[in-house]
Parts: sequence; C-alpha cells; structure tokens
Amino acid sequence: MHWVNAIVMLIMITSGWGIYDDDVIIRGFHFSQFWRLGDWAAWSLNWHFAGMWFLTINGLIYLIYGFVSGRLREKLLPIRPAEVVQTVVDTLHFKIAHEDITVYNAVQKLLYIVVIFAGVAQVVTGLAIWKPIQFSGLVSLLGGFQTARVLHFAGMAVIVGFLIVHVALALLVPKTLWAMVAGGPCLKPRGRAEGNPAT
Amino acid sequence: MKSPFRPDEVPDASLLDDHRSLIRSLERRGLIRGGLSLGALVMLTGCDVKRPESVESALLAISRLNDSVQALLFDPNKLAPTYPASMILRPPKFNAYYDVMDVKPVNGATWRLGLSGLVADKRPWTLQDLQALPQISIVIKHICVEGWSYIGGWTGTPLRTFLERVGADLRAKYVAFKTADDYPSSIDMASALHPQTLLATKYGGETLADPFGYPVRLRMATKLGYKNPKWITAIEVTNSYPGGYWESRGFPWFAGI
Amino acid sequence: MVRRNMSGVRSMRMRSICGALVIVASAAHAQSTTPGGMPPPPGMSLAESAAMRFPQPVRVGDLPGRDVLRPVESQDVLGHVRQLVRDSKGQIMVVIDFGGFFGFGSRPIAVPVDAMVLVGQDMEVVAFTPEQLRRFPTFSPSGTTPIADDAIIKVGLAKPSH
Repeated sequence: MHWVNAIVMLIMITSGWGIYDDDVIIRGFHFSQFWRLGDWAAWSLNWHFAGMWFLTINGLIYLIYGFVSGRLREKLLPIRPAEVVQTVVDTLHFKIAHEDITVYNAVQKLLYIVVIFAGVAQVVTGLAIWKPIQFSGLVSLLGGFQTARVLHFAGMAVIVGFLIVHVALALLVPKTLWAMVAGGPCLKPRGRAEGNPAT
Repeated sequence: MKSPFRPDEVPDASLLDDHRSLIRSLERRGLIRGGLSLGALVMLTGCDVKRPESVESALLAISRLNDSVQALLFDPNKLAPTYPASMILRPPKFNAYYDVMDVKPVNGATWRLGLSGLVADKRPWTLQDLQALPQISIVIKHICVEGWSYIGGWTGTPLRTFLERVGADLRAKYVAFKTADDYPSSIDMASALHPQTLLATKYGGETLADPFGYPVRLRMATKLGYKNPKWITAIEVTNSYPGGYWESRGFPWFAGI
Repeated sequence: MVRRNMSGVRSMRMRSICGALVIVASAAHAQSTTPGGMPPPPGMSLAESAAMRFPQPVRVGDLPGRDVLRPVESQDVLGHVRQLVRDSKGQIMVVIDFGGFFGFGSRPIAVPVDAMVLVGQDMEVVAFTPEQLRRFPTFSPSGTTPIADDAIIKVGLAKPSH
C-alpha cells in the first residue's frame, strides 16, 4: 500500500507539473520537459485524471483503516511541542538512530499529520478546480478559482517538501526501507512493540 | 499562402514512411480523421511514437470513464455564477490552435448556418434570422483547460430556443458543430439545453469581433473554453459520437466545469 | 495548450517503474501551426505586423498596472505598464517600468504599441527580446503627451505562449 501510494503520488505530482506549465502560476517559473509526465498538456491531464482515482481510493482505505483500527491515533498522537524541538535538535546533531522504528518520534508524527492533511487538501482543491461550476460553493469557500489553483500548487509544494525530507531520512536510516517493503515488525495487540526490529 | 509568421522548420515528410503502421492504427482508433497526410504527420510528431499503445489506451479508457462520471455530476439546473458587467474584460483573451494572424474572417452577409441530422427544419439560417430570436445576456467566467480564466459578457439566443425552433430531436445524444476554421466540436444534449448555453453574436454588448468568432460562436457556462467553437457554420443533431478537434489529440470530450 | 519547436522525433529516455508503467521524457513538439507571440518577420514594419494581429479597441485607462510578459512558456514578467503617451511624431508608446525585482530597481522605457500585444489581462512585447529592451534608453517625458484614460486605442492580439 505504501508503494502504491508512492507511485501514484509521483504520477500526480509530475503530471501536475505538466499541467502547471500550460499556464504557469508563478510567472517566470516552469518545469522543464524532463520533470513532466506526459508529452504535453493533454497527456499530463490524462495521467492526472487517471491517477486521481488510485490516489483517493488508496488514501481512503488507508485513512478508514487507520481510524477504525486506532492505528493512526496510536502512532501519530500525542505530539508535545517540547518533544518536537528536542527531536529537531537531535536530528541536526545527526542523532537519527532509530532503535524502534515502529514508534514515531515527535517530528515524524508532525510531518505525517501534515502530509495527510496536505493530501486531503489536494483532493479538495483538486475537486474545486476540476469542477468549479458544479462545486461553485466549494470554490467560493476557497476564495475563487484562481486562489484554488494557487492552493493546489501550494499543497503540492508541501508534499514535495515532505517527500524530500522523508526520502532523505529513509536513506539515512536504511532499516526503515525494509520495513516499508515488508510492513515493519509485528506489533503485539496493545501496540507494544516486542518483536525484534528489522536489522 | 504561407503565413510570414510560420517558423522555418517544418517536419520532415519522410517521417510518414517510418510510422506508417502507427498512423494506420491511430486511424483505426479514430484518432485521426483523414488519411496519410501532412496533417496526420503534424499530429504524429506530437505523439511519442515509442510510447506503448497499451498505456495510451488505458489512459484514454479512464478518460472516457471520467466523462461518464462528469455526466453524472452535471446538474442541468445549476446555474454558473454571474458577475457585474463592469468586470467584463475588453477585449477578451484570444485563443485558437493557431495565432491570431491566421484567423479567417467570415462574411456575415453571405454566411449561412447549415443544419443536418435529427432536425425537422433543415433550412439554412441567415444572421438576421438568428438575431430575430429572443436574446439573453450573461456575464460569466470563461475557464480555459490551460488554467487561465477571465470574466466575459455574451449576448445571444439560448441554444435550446434555437433547437426547439428547428424541430431538433431533444432526446438525441449529441449536438455537433462545424466551423470556418476547421475546428469540429460536439457537446452532450444536456449541456446544449442548459439555460446558460448560447449561440452568441455579441460580446460586451457589441457585435462579436472577427478574432472572437464573428458572426456566431457557442458560449457555455458549464464547459471549458475549448468546447466553445467560434465561427460556427453548421450544427448537427446526432446519436453517433462526433468527436472534436482537441478530442482527437487526447483531450477529454465532456470537459465539464 | 500547444507546444512550440516543430522538429522530427528525437531520441528519448525511457525509465521503467514497477515493470508496468513507462514514463517518457521526450522532446517538445508542436501542435500549433503558428506558436503564440512570434516576432514580426524580418523586413516587416511594426505597423504592418501589428495590423496583421487584428488590433482591438482597448481603453487606455485599463492598461496601467498590467503585467508585461515575455512570450514564452515560463511567462517571465518583464515589467508593468506605467502609462501610455504619444511621442513627438504622434506614435503611441507604452511606458513600461522595466526590469528590477518586485518593483525595486526598475526603470521606465518607452516601447511602441505596435511592438506589443494584448493577451487577456496582460500584455506581451513580441517585437523585441528582453536583451534588446535592456538597451532601450530610459524614458524621458519631454516631447511626449500623455493619452487620456478614456481614450480608446487599438492594440494587436496574440494567443498565449507555451
């Protein structure tokens, strides 16, 4: 599920860059052909409107499962500001060894919550710019059609920022990579990790 | 006459020989109308000829699925937001599949609107005939698939009024348009009957200027810009899918907003 | 929604992901017979080339503040319209606050209106490159007369560039 999501997100982002180039939002800034999915606008759109189904269905399954099973609550809450500061300081000192990878540190929790919200925001702003008349109420709430475009782009920037940090950290703590493929160590029912973390 | 603005580089015609089989398969899929020609070549140089057809077909199949979803989402009674006339952009933004110097102005006096298909009265219409129909004005947002938008004001007769007047079969699926700039286009009947769908003859209260579709263009509030053909010369009501210029090049057909 | 650079099929790079998807980065190609915002052909006067672009009436007072863009996909902002004036020969000139960074460090230059086009809510300079514009002398109002806000002038059009 993680990898389906990763591929679909990459499809959405790179095809989105192709669509962006058709009328740039930041004047003077565009994505060169190398970074775009789709030879030109028509195909970027087709990739984007195909990927959106996989993204939302996969995302919904993840969120519903996460809420219903309590997994999201256990792994992502609570977040204490003092912990966040401490983790950032540790990371900057390269103390990123992660003994028990099933427990997320405060920064991880924060970033995962941010990216989940950003993903949801992308779907909402995406719907607004896809059907601005049928969903005109939503467009008004977002501040208008062009504002919704800007928000959709900003959400992408947040997700790309997350991806850069996420990939960099995963590469720096390689045992997380295996967990992403195999699903991580088994957790006992109450969420207390007693299995050996993957080495 | 070659436009003086046309760039010097044109595609090498020998490309046609290399990709004959691909052209044939594209023709079979109905993506290119017309046979082996430089027109097909222009589109071909736009296609990545090494992209697996299976990926393309899958994407197009999902695009058609999305068309059905959009048709379900379309509320025929929902009106697009309107704006004050002071917000009308004058002149509006020009766009076409060519730049403005290639616009071919139409002679309004000799122009006729032809009719075909599931229509009881197929007599052609003059511009005066059209202007004699009841007219309404709307100030709405034009949204282009590229992403830009502007607020414009159009005056014309609702397409529904026109279709009723010519005895069109309103249960048919499609309304198709032919234009003076070889830009075929078609829409679903539900959108054609929407109250804000017009055969527009005026912009901002004045007769449509040449670059903006004189004498008549389609103006819808519920579809992207490329679904609104300019310089209309004929209308057909039909049950067979008519397609369109950009649809042949991979763009979605329903294109509802 | 069109591409510039009509050229033959060039070499491409292919990457396989999960064995099933193929992402291709191929060279840009053309869909349009004439790309948007091309400069006048060599030898043609500005007035002639502007006349070929179906000039449309526009209210002078609507123009100040508009972005002046470079006719390319990235839509670089060259400056903003400051005002419209007639020079000593009666030619209509667009005074642009050119260059600078978010309004700082720009200088006014006067560009003939026939060198420019309207693209929706923006304008573009089609007859001069940014490098050429950089060599334009700084605008000096002497010998020029401002044009009234309610005056209507004609400016040529272009389709979006990308």
